[in-house]
Amino acid sequence: MGRKRSLGDISYSLVIGGIAILALLIIVTPVVVALMTSFTEGRSLKFPPTGFSFRWYEQLFDASQSRQIHKAAGNSLLVACYSTLFGVVLATLASLGLARNRHRMARVADSFFMSPLVLPGITFGLAALVYFSTLGFRPSLDLMIAGHLMVTMPFILRTTTASLSQLDPALLDSSQSLGASWLYTLRRVTLPLIAPGIAAGAFLAFMASIDNVPVSLFLSNARTDTLPIRMWGMMESTLDVRVAAVSGVLITSAFVLMLVMEWTVGLTRRMRD
Amino acid sequence: MGSRSLGMTPPSLRDTSPADGGGKRFALAEWQLALPLALAFAALFLAPLLLLVGVSFFNDDKITQPGFGSWVKFFGDPFNYKVIGDTLLLGVKTVCATIVVGYPLALVYLDLGARLQKVLLFIIIMPLLLSVVVRTFAWIVVLGREGMVNQVLIGLGLISEPLRLLQTELGLVISLTQIEMPLMLLPLISVMSRLDPNLRDASAALGASRWRTLFTVIVPLSMPGLVAGCLLVFASSTTAFISQTVIGGVRLIYLPLLIWQQSLVVYNWPLAAVASLSLVVSVLSVIAALSYLGRRSSGHLHG
Amino acid sequence: MIRQPFSRRNLLAGASALGGISFLPGLAHAKGSIVATTYPGTWEDAYRGVVAPMLKKKDDIDLELAPLFAMDQIGKAKAARGAPPFDVFVLDPGPRIVGMDGGLFEKFDPKKLANLGKLPAGFADDVGVQVSAQVVGIAYNPKKVPAPKSWADLLKDPWVSRLGLTGFQTTFGTSSLIELSKLFGGSLTNIDPALAELKKVLPKIAAVGLPAAMPGLFQQGQCDVMYTNTQTVATLKGKGIDVEFVKPESGSIAFYTTMHIAKGTAELANAYKYLDLVVGKEVQEALTKPPYNFVPVNKDVPLPADLPMKSLDEMTKYVEHDWSKINPLRAAWIEKFNKEMAK
Repeated sequence: MGRKRSLGDISYSLVIGGIAILALLIIVTPVVVALMTSFTEGRSLKFPPTGFSFRWYEQLFDASQSRQIHKAAGNSLLVACYSTLFGVVLATLASLGLARNRHRMARVADSFFMSPLVLPGITFGLAALVYFSTLGFRPSLDLMIAGHLMVTMPFILRTTTASLSQLDPALLDSSQSLGASWLYTLRRVTLPLIAPGIAAGAFLAFMASIDNVPVSLFLSNARTDTLPIRMWGMMESTLDVRVAAVSGVLITSAFVLMLVMEWTVGLTRRMRD
Repeated sequence: MGSRSLGMTPPSLRDTSPADGGGKRFALAEWQLALPLALAFAALFLAPLLLLVGVSFFNDDKITQPGFGSWVKFFGDPFNYKVIGDTLLLGVKTVCATIVVGYPLALVYLDLGARLQKVLLFIIIMPLLLSVVVRTFAWIVVLGREGMVNQVLIGLGLISEPLRLLQTELGLVISLTQIEMPLMLLPLISVMSRLDPNLRDASAALGASRWRTLFTVIVPLSMPGLVAGCLLVFASSTTAFISQTVIGGVRLIYLPLLIWQQSLVVYNWPLAAVASLSLVVSVLSVIAALSYLGRRSSGHLHG
Repeated sequence: MIRQPFSRRNLLAGASALGGISFLPGLAHAKGSIVATTYPGTWEDAYRGVVAPMLKKKDDIDLELAPLFAMDQIGKAKAARGAPPFDVFVLDPGPRIVGMDGGLFEKFDPKKLANLGKLPAGFADDVGVQVSAQVVGIAYNPKKVPAPKSWADLLKDPWVSRLGLTGFQTTFGTSSLIELSKLFGGSLTNIDPALAELKKVLPKIAAVGLPAAMPGLFQQGQCDVMYTNTQTVATLKGKGIDVEFVKPESGSIAFYTTMHIAKGTAELANAYKYLDLVVGKEVQEALTKPPYNFVPVNKDVPLPADLPMKSLDEMTKYVEHDWSKINPLRAAWIEKFNKEMAK
């Protein structure tokens, strides 16, 4: 390896490496700003922060001071979990059915299923509320789950379809020609291969649900307000630092979740070997 | 509803010929897997959407006089064409920026060891973990007049007056690039990491430069992921109301602002419906074109 | 579309039928409870912290609060087709008129308020009751710019290049632009002069945004002058932010925040009890104090010292705008603002 590195290869490393660093900077800077701000000692969201303290995290976790935030976070999690779960099942099935279908209708359906992503949230929120009210449903967690399912499902559909369209059809066909049942092929061949795509989509959907403002605004009732709606109020009139602390908590929990997954996956792998 | 079609499908699949494109019956049976989603979609999304279409055919904000008035009003105003154009253009710019900045990061990801890959993956998803509320504040800090970028540039002596980044399209595209990066990179990486590493080695062994390998081997093979990423980024950046208005300011006018004003400030729902449907139709046509290209490229690969 | 509004009974039947299918508990009106909207932020903190416990103690009514901005409340109530997801609205003058036109309110009977005598004459009518005053003027950062004197100063240096401008989306934005317009020959119904003047200095203006973005922009030094109300200034000041309120030479703008009972509510009696408590001395006094900084409407409650007026009577001399004249023009104004300000 690396016997003679041509000029082209050096330029490749420089350009690709340079842009990748820029990309990292763009991704990380706002996150760092938010995290730093959350440790401020001051009374309002301000950068650069004054002093260092955990007071806003303490206040965020304090049951009496932040009860509404906890309630809202609970609602948000519940809605995100259910809508992602339904989304994974429905969208994975659909993309199994459509991804490799060459029929014109399949293509039309595929684009059509993407439309919730491009209908502005306010419009869908309003239209959904009019529709559900007409049917006699009142705003509730159930309606919110239904609404979130629609606006987050396209993420799963898209990434799963991308993974599927990359699969070599010969692989699946050979599995089936060897007499494997459709379900067996699905479980042992297809699903493991497209799992990264499903996981990526599920994660995008989950976070889109957690961060959704407009659909929740219209489909929630007084008891079911959600985290981002609450955070808007805190930001707009009072520049409450807990808003930044919430992001700190989210990032930390994602990090911990990742470590746990790493650990359990590693463990199962070791058990299998 | 889901279990029924599920229960029916597998046997019919098994019965048909497994050969490639094994006749109409195969295709027919397989698409039934999309039925549960189609039903949910029809009940929960299509119906409200049709309602919206219905509302758009009223002339007045009280929704009492049916007619084409709202459509005529919206499309009779040249200003709205500009807004539609600007909105689509914003999507295109964001998609381009995300590809240019994000693709190299995906390439770097491929070259890393398993452990570092996980670290990078975590960094890549971080923008999603930052609530939109905090994200916009952070971008005010970074791009503002007294913000980090300006302080660095002034400190380096590159500029003497602070640059105007906030409330410009440049600033908006930069901030959208960050938010949309995970949407581009996750599909891209999930597709790319399944590429056969031997392909690259083979290409190198045949004497191809790394640039050549990139454009002749890696990019074409990663097309499905790239297209999926582009779709998500395009859709999401054209409807990103909060970023558009807070970071871009309201002097940059995109369709979501008009829709918000019509639906929640002056309550002219017919007009809001027309504006929304225009956004849906124009963005979906771009998406349909993109996914058509995507299918062609993946079809090209496999057949 | 569906023109016939569903009756409450139908809806409740539908809701309970849904309850059977539902795997999550829906909203059930407990005995002695009421759902009221409140503005997010300071309003919500105050109503949750002060009003809810008092209502529980006095009338044994559970107060559920739905934090929603005025326009979102109207949007939601309109979309809910006669079955509003809340019993009491809190609104500014503009949305109030939209609500009246849309028939969203129950006819209000002021005589049912025990505290009616404590309110200045005309504060309660057959639409609703005024629960708080808002005084709008100019806010600026005293460490960055000298104090502006009039609305016209906003268009001059050094303020114009530090100005954070908002459009006709909010009550205070609309009112401020009208006042600006008056200085250049405009009137309540003619805002063209303001737009013309703004257009001349447009490249200099620091930020044109939504109200939601303003506190963040102000805090980070992106803009140092904006128009807003005394309550926001007091709240930001309480958070250690450098901000001061100025009453413009032509006078501050005053308007009242009103509460209304939603049409079709099942909690009519409780709604009156709630409104009576809100305008009562105890609540008004508590809300006047920091960190809430409301402007009270009850005659028994003295005005806080840092307000630009000494008594509510003085406020009648402040500029008040007739929103029934403004509302029909607003759609056109917003469109004009979009076009004139667009890059």
